[in-house]
Amino acid sequence: MLMHNLPPGLILIFAAFLVYLLPGRLKNWCAIIFSVLAFWQIVRLSGNAILPFQLLDLELAVLRVDGWSKAFAYIFTLSSFAAFLYGYHEKKSHQLCSGLLYIGSALMVVFAGDLITLYIFWEVMAITSVYLILGRKTKKSYRAAFRYILVHIFGGLVLLAGIVITIQQSGSIAFNAFDPANPHLGTWLILAGFLVNAAAIPFSSWLPDAYPEASIMGGVILSAYTSKTAVYALLRGFPGWEILIIIGSAMAIYGVIYALLENDIRRMLAYAIVGQVGFMVCAVGIGTPLALNGVVVHAFCHIIYKGLLWMSAGAVIYRVGKSKFTELGGLYRSMPWTTVFGCIGALAIAAPLTSGFISKNMILAEAASNNLFWPWFILKAASVGAFISIGLKFPYFVFFGKSKVEGLPQPHREAPKAMLFAMSFMAFFCIYLGIFPGTLYNILPGAELVKSVMPYTFWDIYIYHFSSLVFHVQLLSFATLAFFLILPFFKQTNTITLDIDWFYRRGGVVAYLLFDQGLNGVNNLSNRIVVESGMKSLAKFFRDGPARILLFFVQPLWSLTGVDREGSRAMEIKFINRFRNCFFSIGNTAVSTLALILLLLLV
Amino acid sequence: MDNGYFDRQETKKLLWNILWITCGLSLVLGLFVKQKSYFPIDDFYGFYALLGFMACAVSIIISKGVGFIFKRKENHYDVDA
Repeated sequence: MLMHNLPPGLILIFAAFLVYLLPGRLKNWCAIIFSVLAFWQIVRLSGNAILPFQLLDLELAVLRVDGWSKAFAYIFTLSSFAAFLYGYHEKKSHQLCSGLLYIGSALMVVFAGDLITLYIFWEVMAITSVYLILGRKTKKSYRAAFRYILVHIFGGLVLLAGIVITIQQSGSIAFNAFDPANPHLGTWLILAGFLVNAAAIPFSSWLPDAYPEASIMGGVILSAYTSKTAVYALLRGFPGWEILIIIGSAMAIYGVIYALLENDIRRMLAYAIVGQVGFMVCAVGIGTPLALNGVVVHAFCHIIYKGLLWMSAGAVIYRVGKSKFTELGGLYRSMPWTTVFGCIGALAIAAPLTSGFISKNMILAEAASNNLFWPWFILKAASVGAFISIGLKFPYFVFFGKSKVEGLPQPHREAPKAMLFAMSFMAFFCIYLGIFPGTLYNILPGAELVKSVMPYTFWDIYIYHFSSLVFHVQLLSFATLAFFLILPFFKQTNTITLDIDWFYRRGGVVAYLLFDQGLNGVNNLSNRIVVESGMKSLAKFFRDGPARILLFFVQPLWSLTGVDREGSRAMEIKFINRFRNCFFSIGNTAVSTLALILLLLLV
Repeated sequence: MDNGYFDRQETKKLLWNILWITCGLSLVLGLFVKQKSYFPIDDFYGFYALLGFMACAVSIIISKGVGFIFKRKENHYDVDA
């Protein structure tokens, strides 16, 4: 009974600890085999089940099984299998362990039926993923990881605040769709927390900042989970929230423009992730059943082809040791298989006979049939932009084009066999889903609805709906024409483009200076005023003050008795010294006391 | 060094020809087929060809503009550079 309801995430979390006990390659096999076991467990989970778990007086729903969670869990475990197969070269236990914990937590989030479970594993994901960035072991990756965790701590705290307020208001910890007609501070904060992880504008820059600095296997793993888990959370919590249409459209444009400008191959892919997540966020905003199923389809296909692209980019970095478009090119001769798989991944963003041909159709069709002209137009144009940056720029500058890697000391070789095998696995799905999307449609929560509206057999897609193919080819071929006509004027430069992270990267320095100069300045000033001069003056006042006051009265008497200026000065010093030493003659003291008593009596 | 297949002039010429033919053929076929139109403008003949060409050109131009303002040297943020 327990095994039937075992959360698949726990299988991977268990494997994370097991890798530490195993020697050598068994670690890698452990990660690969447990990914398959987790997949198998998801297949076995019965639909619409909820596994309750008592924590203090809260009843958590750690396993909510339905069509949505199962669909995301399938692709998460498929991608996990491919990523660990790809990372067969990885010998470090902590990389495999953090990867497994990260993916396991992502699965726990996907199956979470309440806000507490969701939040706990949301945070575990943030913490464990940092190690995948640190795994590169460079100064740059260390700094990027630091910024990454700061952003995620911020996002996590916003989410926590939202969850606390929401539970306080509704009295329930259940994680269901929030009513767009009745938003309150709690739901807005939860939305913001989700949007941080979805890399939505204006919280987008952490993704292209951190992911490209990750280890080679780490990059492949990271590309799939954080943003897609956030998309899943948005899909469950915020369907039909119209603000998401605007945010998603903005992300799609931003992703295209920055991907075109970027010179680092993995950073360009990171910007492309933001762009594609924009499509999904926009579809969540549209919120119709078909649009939400479109989100699952696009997320599924996106994880596969983007995983493949990260793999091919990682293989290039692994063999050539370079990651800049300005330093690569012409690799088709030395890495032919990586080129083939990289090109399949690149074309799978839009080309016919690949998953890209079917993946965005539902979202675009729903935008159009809901009469949302501008979102439809922006997404259509952004899909062309994504095609030229990923489908054309990436393969052209890395695998074809003029080679800039001739001067390297050693000729580079084809990627290791395990990497090629993992890439072929992903490439197979890219093509399979483009030809037989029915398999994917069958696992959707709205399978019947989708299949009644969308074509899903090869005949139906490419022959019966031949007109769609023609117009799609028009779109892509003319975009390709424009790209290659403009190419002579489109030079890649060894530069970065300022992004929203400028505010906290430069802002951090400014804040540091401000605190350093500002607060330390106040500190120094107080030290000068209070400690250095203030206390001294106070001490001097208590030491010489009474004597000085008395001198004020006594000095005129001295001048009356004919004491000259020099004599007066000498007497003054003597007078003050007497006070300092408390050395007074008995006669003077008696006279003074008597005078004081008389004064008191007179008054 | 021996030129690879994709570096040869004749291959480049062939690929260009394939591209021109694909563009031409898709335009010609566009005359004979029809698909459901949602908005007034997507019904125009050659709308998708124009959209593809313009979206590519405009996004490159916009990215050039953004680059002109926001491009910095690679070590812009390096503190110990």
